[in-house]
Amino acid sequence: MIDIKKLDRELLKVEKPARYVGSELNCVIKDKEDVNIRFAFAFPDVYEVGMSHTGMHIIYHLLNNEKNIWCERVFAPWTDMEKVMRENKIPLYCLESKDELKEFDFLGFTLQYEMSYTNILNMLNLANIPFKSKDRDNNMPLVIAGGPCAYNPEPLHEIVDLFTVGESEELLIELMKLYESMKKDSFDKDKFLEEAAKLDGIYVPKFYDIIYNDDNTIKERKKLNENAQDIITKRIIKDMSKVFYPEKSLLPYIDVVHDRVVLEVFRGCTRGCRFCQAGMVYRPVREKDYDVLVKQSESLFDSTGHDEISLTSLSSGDYSCLQDLVLELLKKYENENVSISLPSLRLDSMTFDIIEKLQEVRKSGLTFAPEAGTQRMRDVINKNLTEEQILGPVETAFNLGWSTVKLYFMIGLPTETIEDVLGIKDLAYKIKDKFFQRPKEDIRGNLKINASASCFVPKPFTPFQWVKQDSIDDFYTKAKSLQKEIKDKKVSFSYHEPKLSYLEAVFARGDRKLSDALILAWEKGCRFDGWHDMFSYEKWMETFEELKIDSDFYASRERDLEEVLPWDFIDIGVSKEYLKKEYEKALNVSTTPDCRLGCTNCGVNYKLVGGTCPHVQNNK
Amino acid sequence: MFKIISKYSKTGNLKYISHLDVLRFLQRSIKRAGIKAKYSEGFNPHMKTSFGFPLSLGIESIGEYFEVELNEKIDIDDYINKMNTVLPNEMKILKAEYIEDEVSIMARCKYAQYLFSLEGELNIKKLNELFEKMLNEGVIYIREKKNKKNKLVQKELNTKELLKYIQCKEINNKISIEVIFITNETGSLKVDEFMKILYNNDFVPDYYTVTKIDALEHDMKPLIS
Repeated sequence: MIDIKKLDRELLKVEKPARYVGSELNCVIKDKEDVNIRFAFAFPDVYEVGMSHTGMHIIYHLLNNEKNIWCERVFAPWTDMEKVMRENKIPLYCLESKDELKEFDFLGFTLQYEMSYTNILNMLNLANIPFKSKDRDNNMPLVIAGGPCAYNPEPLHEIVDLFTVGESEELLIELMKLYESMKKDSFDKDKFLEEAAKLDGIYVPKFYDIIYNDDNTIKERKKLNENAQDIITKRIIKDMSKVFYPEKSLLPYIDVVHDRVVLEVFRGCTRGCRFCQAGMVYRPVREKDYDVLVKQSESLFDSTGHDEISLTSLSSGDYSCLQDLVLELLKKYENENVSISLPSLRLDSMTFDIIEKLQEVRKSGLTFAPEAGTQRMRDVINKNLTEEQILGPVETAFNLGWSTVKLYFMIGLPTETIEDVLGIKDLAYKIKDKFFQRPKEDIRGNLKINASASCFVPKPFTPFQWVKQDSIDDFYTKAKSLQKEIKDKKVSFSYHEPKLSYLEAVFARGDRKLSDALILAWEKGCRFDGWHDMFSYEKWMETFEELKIDSDFYASRERDLEEVLPWDFIDIGVSKEYLKKEYEKALNVSTTPDCRLGCTNCGVNYKLVGGTCPHVQNNK
Repeated sequence: MFKIISKYSKTGNLKYISHLDVLRFLQRSIKRAGIKAKYSEGFNPHMKTSFGFPLSLGIESIGEYFEVELNEKIDIDDYINKMNTVLPNEMKILKAEYIEDEVSIMARCKYAQYLFSLEGELNIKKLNELFEKMLNEGVIYIREKKNKKNKLVQKELNTKELLKYIQCKEINNKISIEVIFITNETGSLKVDEFMKILYNNDFVPDYYTVTKIDALEHDMKPLIS
């Protein structure tokens, strides 16, 4: 255990000390003598962000449900705490036992976004654990990682011992059982990694070597160990109603980003938006049964006393029993001031009787994501949303009394012209007109339209994985021309920092050569790169320059369709041919319908489901 | 109207939880316990609770108070049991009773009783001399506070007007200070101000803990006796 008195003396010097002490309701305390495996779930961002992440709650309770495993949590200390820890030589520790990370068997990082990679290094360093897998011996914790960014694990290949690819509820337990059986004898890390590599969904980077062409593209992947698999197939949970979901939820004392019951209603999405990585990698759609959801919501409310529940998924309006579920929850908690939020609703799927019911408890603003301003652009990205399908629901919302509207757009989408960019303004103004083009007596409230644009980052495993990202200058030109054009008291416009999106694009489609850049950038002081006030574009550019890495090679280069991509060895079920076909269709401004209406042959059905996808069957 | 006043503890790691967070946590605990509390009317209904003076961050307490209004009367032991079933070990309801009183907790609190435990080489005789002075002659100290314009303003305060009782003795190699602060409209002597006075007089402990023992009414009796 770390020196508690020393910690106690220092904690009052930092902002929000409750971030660093644990003891939350429903946190799990075990006797370390009673367990065989100690697992540190590591979230490479601050406590408030990590505690809002559903995946963490699932894995935490999933592992702790096993008698032999004690899973604890560790988050990235904010800079003030980092300073205190370094000055007082307090190593990074887990919240539950206050034991330092070195004492653990596993250190499991969740990779939610690329901009948290330097925090991983910082956490390892604060725990006195060497960065590189090869420098960690049998006595050091195994450093493993999973989550959405593990679909392109290569930038972290030297750091992480093994990656879990896909949904890990079953895989993690298999991995833990394997470890337990091998820990009995004198533990040998390499032997363990060899055995682990045989499990479906496990990627051990050191068992492969990459041969490059002269132009820095990949020539081939060479397998260095016969136990390793040629292709790593992502894992999925086949039956979402039977998979583990926590009955209790950790209840933080301090205000976190999402302070509510989170109930996952289904995984996957059938919409096929071409920019969206989640829409591709989480296929196929698998719903939880209505009865299971009602039961799970009950125990989660009972164990926390929350007064808000969030029904989460991609495009939550697509849940087949959504109306029944919402009505049942409202009825059940009628007298308890419980509110329901649906954070991911598509405009066209919104049924306003549901939305209106939700608003009976608490009025909030409406958020729409048209993503692009013109029909042409929306067709390119396959948003499958017409202008009527945007303006219609907006008008309904105005008539029901809403007056605050948030609009999310992207700039820098493939084939985008300045007309498409300015279309954002046109759409926002059309929405404004809808508000005022009503009978005077119907106009209530003070209209406020907040349009915001993020800079498009091409991601692996999407039809846009080959495209070049707009340059930083392009982004600024586009954003500033919009800012100049939108001059209206009722409409505001803001945009996401292009430099940050550029760096995100570098790492999203990065390869093994970026490992060194991460380490050097960390040495230069990069931390919390996703936080605007912490992000230093200059330090990153210095890093690339010193290492002679051409960052444009990753972000602003159009790839040949035949190029070997760094993530090609991972199979997400959706075929590369399908992605290519979708890319070509995008360039031809041709749309692909929602695959609920008929299979579009993405490949996931015969590769992972073993038959027709369940959502297609349901519709027959 | 059914109003319950509860005395509760806040110990261990919960000493790092701020006043506002405690408020929300206790309200959620009331919900978890299945106790039917009263809510305010309006668009954003909130549970009808009220609290005493905020406890400074980093201080444990076995004498915190809050009130909650209920829709229906329940047995007081039943209330305590239900609450303590859902509360963590570091926060428990110690006592509770129904009250008719309209006077708020804050208005009733006239004194706050604290126990300091200091480790290190400290001269107990000299310490008591300092306390004697703080109590009778008074020690002047400066409180810095930001005003509404976010400007730092200084205020001179005298310990004499803020102390009711202070005494220290040695227990198990530690110095134990029992102190009763006066709490009035202008606020009371703060724990960190008290420690600062010790530091300024060259009493620097290696380590110390502070526990609030209770809040007392004008007759020096706890709010719930």
